[in-house]
Amino acid sequence: MRRFVLFLCLGISSAGFAQTINDGIMMPKKTICTGVMYTHDRWTEYWEGELKRENGNIGDLTTQSIMWVGTYGLTDKINIIAMLPYVKTEASQGTLSGLEGIQDLSLAVKYNFFKQSAGPGTLKTFGVLGFSTPLTDYTPDFYPLSLGSATQNISWRLTTNYTFGMGIYINASAAYTWRSNTELDRPSYFTKGQLYNTNEVEMPNVFDYVVSVGYRKGPLQADLNYTQQNTLGGGDIRRQDMPFVSNRMNFSKAGAYVLYYVPGTHGLAVRGGYSLTVDGRNVGKSSTLTGGLLYTINFSKNP
Amino acid sequence: MKTLKYFFLLMIFTVAFTVVLPVSCNKEIDITEDLKPLAPAATDNDAGTWDMIVLTSPAQIAVAAPGDINAAAYQAELTAIKDAQSKLTASQRETIEFWSGGGVLRWNQMFRKLVARYNLPPAPKADNTYPAPDAENPFADPNFPFANPPYASRAYSYVSVAQYEALKAAWHYKYLYNRQSPYKNDNAIKLLMPETGLPSYPSEDAVLSGAAADMLKSLFPAAVQEITLYAAAQRNAALWSGRASSSDISAGLALGKAVAAQLIARAGNDGMRNAVGTKAQWDQLAQQCIDKGEIPWISRDNPKRPPMLPFFGQVTAWNMTAQDIVNERPEAPPLTNSAEMKKEVDEVKWYSQNLTRERLAIVHKWADGAGTYTPPGHWNDIAAEYIAEAKFSEVRAARAYALINMALHDAAVGCWETKFFYFNPRPSQMDPSIKTGTGVPNFPAFTSGHSTFSGAAATVLSYLFPQHSEYFHAEAKEASDSRLFGGIHYRSDIEMGLAHGKVIGSYTVNYASTDGAD
Repeated sequence: MRRFVLFLCLGISSAGFAQTINDGIMMPKKTICTGVMYTHDRWTEYWEGELKRENGNIGDLTTQSIMWVGTYGLTDKINIIAMLPYVKTEASQGTLSGLEGIQDLSLAVKYNFFKQSAGPGTLKTFGVLGFSTPLTDYTPDFYPLSLGSATQNISWRLTTNYTFGMGIYINASAAYTWRSNTELDRPSYFTKGQLYNTNEVEMPNVFDYVVSVGYRKGPLQADLNYTQQNTLGGGDIRRQDMPFVSNRMNFSKAGAYVLYYVPGTHGLAVRGGYSLTVDGRNVGKSSTLTGGLLYTINFSKNP
Repeated sequence: MKTLKYFFLLMIFTVAFTVVLPVSCNKEIDITEDLKPLAPAATDNDAGTWDMIVLTSPAQIAVAAPGDINAAAYQAELTAIKDAQSKLTASQRETIEFWSGGGVLRWNQMFRKLVARYNLPPAPKADNTYPAPDAENPFADPNFPFANPPYASRAYSYVSVAQYEALKAAWHYKYLYNRQSPYKNDNAIKLLMPETGLPSYPSEDAVLSGAAADMLKSLFPAAVQEITLYAAAQRNAALWSGRASSSDISAGLALGKAVAAQLIARAGNDGMRNAVGTKAQWDQLAQQCIDKGEIPWISRDNPKRPPMLPFFGQVTAWNMTAQDIVNERPEAPPLTNSAEMKKEVDEVKWYSQNLTRERLAIVHKWADGAGTYTPPGHWNDIAAEYIAEAKFSEVRAARAYALINMALHDAAVGCWETKFFYFNPRPSQMDPSIKTGTGVPNFPAFTSGHSTFSGAAATVLSYLFPQHSEYFHAEAKEASDSRLFGGIHYRSDIEMGLAHGKVIGSYTVNYASTDGAD
């Protein structure tokens, strides 16, 4: 969730949250972890191509979302992950109407295919196959107020985690996301220096990686992380133009994240995170705050 | 060992997946409308007698008689074509195929692209003022021009009329001199485009390329390279395809350029240079409104932007006199402080608060705002399909676009005259809680430009393709409604605008019905 940037609106899904897509942790067999996360993302400056600017007709662009998340341990080595956000966008200035609605359902299978003691710690490697699809017909043609790109995505992720005995870990994860084309309500559009006489938009694929250094012991998990996402194609926002769904949206984010299992609750955890976009192209310079509650139930103990 | 085996299997799967998936799911899309090779349904060999709009007669620009086809010079031209045809590359064949879709239609695609490229308002400076695009430095930021709807409607009309005038003149000389195409004069030359049945001197393709390119270069000076290459490709296609010889082409090019020069001269004197006005004039528009006890329009942009071409209403129209423009101006909208106005504001507010997905789709279908080919471009886009289907000869296709775009230009003039006569505020000015489904254009509300453009275009298209009249008018109504749905316009703006557009369109239809081509 800390790196769930789908609802930055000038961003693209690189869905990932702790104990899920891009970390080095698995839910044990017959255990479900589910909960709700709230995210507040805001930017005032954005990159028009590579030019950082503000826009008096947008002011602050705020995106809030409430997302249901769930992870289930099919086995100790295979987890199923699901996410479903409700997203709301709003601009503080200008006349443009905000939008809100259910966005994309994400499903992923995470497989811990390698685990071995090595030196003072343990090395683990994970593969994640993810899929996402819009659940509503929201428009992808109203950036920066669109709820998303309205594409179907398939992503393939590899994650490596090394955890020292005392609980310090380093984690690296990279994914390639294939995106379907998307469709507009209008019969033509201009991007990449061309007039396209069609309502179909060719959507470039996306590459991202996340590295983090953290600590996990007992009820506490915390880390510092860095995310880089690059869209592998697409045009820049033209001077004083609106952003467009297939723009080359790149960003670098630095963040911190914490998860804490509340003692005596038998599985209730609070989670919080913050991230700041430090560099970007065709995206907002976001600061993102997330918080949520998760609950873990182990069915094998309570048959 | 077992884990290692898993690891390798997974790696293979990963590589296969990332490589195969993008290939197997091809995302490539066609960027232009497909145009089938144009085999005209009729030659329109009397087009040289059709009414001229700007030129005094089809013979106003002299075209010398062609050389004898048996002379060495012409025979050398034929040899050059045979030589070119004997070693055509794949890319040259593609050029031929591209242009066989019809020159008028291909140039129309180019206009729409240029308008979409240059239809961006200047970005504000740090001191919250806006720089003006500079025709003498078109590559600077902001680019010149800002091809907004009035600019675009005028541009489309000039290029379309230039092509139409040039082709009528070409038809006059074609049938005066009656020189046949190279492939008819030499059996060794193949025809690689559809048969047109036209004499080839001067070449209609070269005429089109000269008229369109010179006119476009004057309107979009920063795009000179792209325009020049496009025009050259059209002439090459005519030559390589065996349709025209180099003397057919050079005569056509000269004629096209000379006709463009006539149109450029008209454009220099049509009032456009005064359409921007001065700060004192803009302030006066507001003051006149205040003096009448009315609330004047204020820019919704932040920082506030000078109005878009406030004196475009004084630009010369094509088929209406300045007096016609004033006479057809719609009756005044409700007074800004009236109960009727309040009712209209409330209705817009309701649509703003009830922006369903279905209505948002209609708003976006017709938004045609900044960065697009504008509403006039949208109607050119709609027309393309019908013109292509009708298999019009080049001269008749040019007539269709000239009529549509003259009407669209006149609609812009009439609508802008109305807008700046009443200087009526936008709904979101009257009630700032009104949010919109697309950008609010930077000019007064009454009447709706989209409605006026659409009413005029649908009227002319209905004249050209009467069997589709119902569809054109339904589309126009939807375009008009989209502005109310989006919270951009009041009901009186869209209803009066649509009716006004139909009246404006009828002036062009009246002209068309007596132009000798009907």
